[in-house]
Amino acid sequence: MVLEVGTRVLCRWRDGKHHPVKVIERRRLNSGDYEYYVHYTEFNRRLDEWVRLEQLDLDSVENDVDEKVEDKVTGLKMTRHQKRKIDETHVEGHEELDPASLREHEEFTKVKNIATIELGRYQIETWYFSPFPPEYNDSSNLYFCEFCLNFMKRKEQLQRHMKKCDLKHPPGDEIYRSGTLSMFEVDGKKNKVYAQNLCYLAKLFLDHKTLYYDVDLFLFYVLCECDERGCHMVGYFSKEKQSEESYNLACILTLPPYQRKGYGKFLIAFSYELSKKEGKVGTPERPLSDLGLLSYRGYWTRVLLDILKKHKGNISIKELSDMTAIRAEDILATLQALELIQYRKGQHVICADPKVLDRHLKAAGRGGLEVDVSKLIWTPYKEQG
Amino acid sequence: MSRLSFRPRPLDIHKKLPILKSIKDFEDDDTPSATRTQMLRLVAEADNEAQVPQAASKKTASEIPTPEYVIVDTYERDYSATFNQPTSYLRARGARAEIGEFIEYDLDNEDEDWLEEYNKEGKILPAEKVETIIFKLEVLDHKAREKAGVITPTLGAPIPVLLTFDAAVEALQALSIQYGVFQAIYNYWKEKRQRWQKPVLRRLQPPPPATDTNPYNVFRPREKAHRLHTRRMQRRENSVQSFEKLRQVRRNLEQAKNLLEAVIRREEKKRDVIDIEVILQRTQMKYKNETELLEDSLALPGLPSYMSKFAPSEDEFFDSDAYAAQNQAIMDSRYVLPSGGGIKREFRRQPVQSSWLHKLDPLEPLLLFTKPLDPAKLAAAGIVPPAASSLQNTMASRSFHPRGRIGRGGRIIFDRWNPFMHTPIDSGDSFYMPPKPQQPRINHSHY
Repeated sequence: MVLEVGTRVLCRWRDGKHHPVKVIERRRLNSGDYEYYVHYTEFNRRLDEWVRLEQLDLDSVENDVDEKVEDKVTGLKMTRHQKRKIDETHVEGHEELDPASLREHEEFTKVKNIATIELGRYQIETWYFSPFPPEYNDSSNLYFCEFCLNFMKRKEQLQRHMKKCDLKHPPGDEIYRSGTLSMFEVDGKKNKVYAQNLCYLAKLFLDHKTLYYDVDLFLFYVLCECDERGCHMVGYFSKEKQSEESYNLACILTLPPYQRKGYGKFLIAFSYELSKKEGKVGTPERPLSDLGLLSYRGYWTRVLLDILKKHKGNISIKELSDMTAIRAEDILATLQALELIQYRKGQHVICADPKVLDRHLKAAGRGGLEVDVSKLIWTPYKEQG
Repeated sequence: MSRLSFRPRPLDIHKKLPILKSIKDFEDDDTPSATRTQMLRLVAEADNEAQVPQAASKKTASEIPTPEYVIVDTYERDYSATFNQPTSYLRARGARAEIGEFIEYDLDNEDEDWLEEYNKEGKILPAEKVETIIFKLEVLDHKAREKAGVITPTLGAPIPVLLTFDAAVEALQALSIQYGVFQAIYNYWKEKRQRWQKPVLRRLQPPPPATDTNPYNVFRPREKAHRLHTRRMQRRENSVQSFEKLRQVRRNLEQAKNLLEAVIRREEKKRDVIDIEVILQRTQMKYKNETELLEDSLALPGLPSYMSKFAPSEDEFFDSDAYAAQNQAIMDSRYVLPSGGGIKREFRRQPVQSSWLHKLDPLEPLLLFTKPLDPAKLAAAGIVPPAASSLQNTMASRSFHPRGRIGRGGRIIFDRWNPFMHTPIDSGDSFYMPPKPQQPRINHSHY
């Protein structure tokens, strides 16, 4: 039996249970059988994967009848397919994209091309499609050199490469070192191939990142843990050399093996420390990913509430902005979301009851690794003539 | 959360907001009950440590999947532990491509497959060697295309191989490869290039044009238009035109510098002139006051000492204001005259002093810083001194040498009036003495 693209059916997932999926693509194997690329409708697209026929419960194939339903929340009338699309959009976190961009984005990225990569010590499952050069499309595994990030299709090629590759850290200036943690600044123009490699790699784990334009106008801040084998990348963030919208961060990623250890929060804090040194207010580029938004909310909450706990007397939003390099709109959004701004007796006030603040701080989670500003040796980037 | 019936004013970010640290701050005033209950609720929740959903996010951290990963077993073997971290922060040393020694090319699948086949036939050709050769062929071909001027900034037409076999052989002689082996590699590479239609080394592949809409093509160069927003400095090019312009700028600056230096020298000289004139006049005045000094310096043996008769009794003429001082100078100047007159005959050898002393007319207003007029220049400029006033028609017959001088600001001034004697300058009963040589008159009226 062969299923058509678009079929909805139940599929057995890695947890042993059956989940509803939609068939996105199919391909024929040498044996004559088909493989199906499925999207688990309850989950994020990260978990889309190629499955075999036996994982699918063929009895559960849906009849494709499109009935009219009413959405309970908004009261709108629509077809069942439309409603499902909207629900699934919420699951993806794509609300900030307009329908046309969303269609285009999904069309072009619907199938992951690379399933796993090997990077240094770890072999990692990818999440998203990344536009590698066409000659790499026939491979589902890529092998990355840990230091120069060149990618190869076979393990032997990587091993041969490692014998000649003398790079033991990112090809840039080290601007921060505290203990085993180091931060390197890489100029996209001076190290074009490295920066492109980094973008290809990062795209595997970032949904909305775009590689449309080249890397010349960006700086890449690569965070590393150092040991006797070298400085191993754990995460990075990119930043426009000159941002017109005062973005102090374009893309941010902690590599999967290093997530949930505080590196992401470190990267966010670091981006603000750079902004403070530049004397400019900054904000991350939108749209933020789901993880990104959570992390930023946590950072803003911690920084602002720490100040409010200690501050005596009045304070304006602008002063908070000047102290922290956080944009006023972000401060306002954070405080309002936490219901800390009230309107009383004809003016706005900030509620800073210590008990309330502590509760919010607890919910925001611990801070990540701390940035020791005394160990930052850096001058803001200047364009050379 | 219930809303108040009126809408609050939008929040001004520059305005200082009071920070209220406790719930009591709310209870004292007639706070709308909605806000009160809200605050109470928040505090109550804090006490109970209940979970509060974050207002804006739709997910909590637990719903976002963690990616799967496993440890690579060959890691320790593949990556050598040879990194020595220096104590100072690492500095970038320039991209490896620019330094030029690193073999940037790695064999890909089809290269490896070809090599496997090739090695079956005889001597084993190491993979590293093939890598090196393909890399160098790529670089040489790029140089050949550069020389031919066919390098395109973005990918347009297919890019053919320009490097001929013979040129390659010659350039890579140092590699000491067997001819037959080299030929095989060259042909393989050339055929691969023909299939790919572009360089195989990624660094040498031009990016897609900015107008390419294929979403699978990446890293387009950004259009120049974007740079208009940035400072002009960043659009500076390095071309022959700008070099010539800079040269011209340099020449202009040097000329300006020379001009300014000349101006400085001129002004310094002018200042020196004025300084010297001041010294001159001061000395003049000093000598008027100190006739003894003059007598001592100018007296020659045998000269009657007229000066003793005219010893100045300065007390008589003491007056505190400057006018009086000038008067005194004028009065005293008389004393000099006789000796000046007397000495004058003897002093023909020293014309400088005599012409000085000549100027010391008693009632002549002592114009210390004026210059005499040059009649020739006046005539050349077409300036005619004013004729005598008709009031003094009795004097009309008198030959009138106008009292001209260069006054303040370089103005040419013809004086008609003696400010001290309150008489017209050319009237007969004044003691006017023109500056030009005439016998000095002695006024005895003060004795």
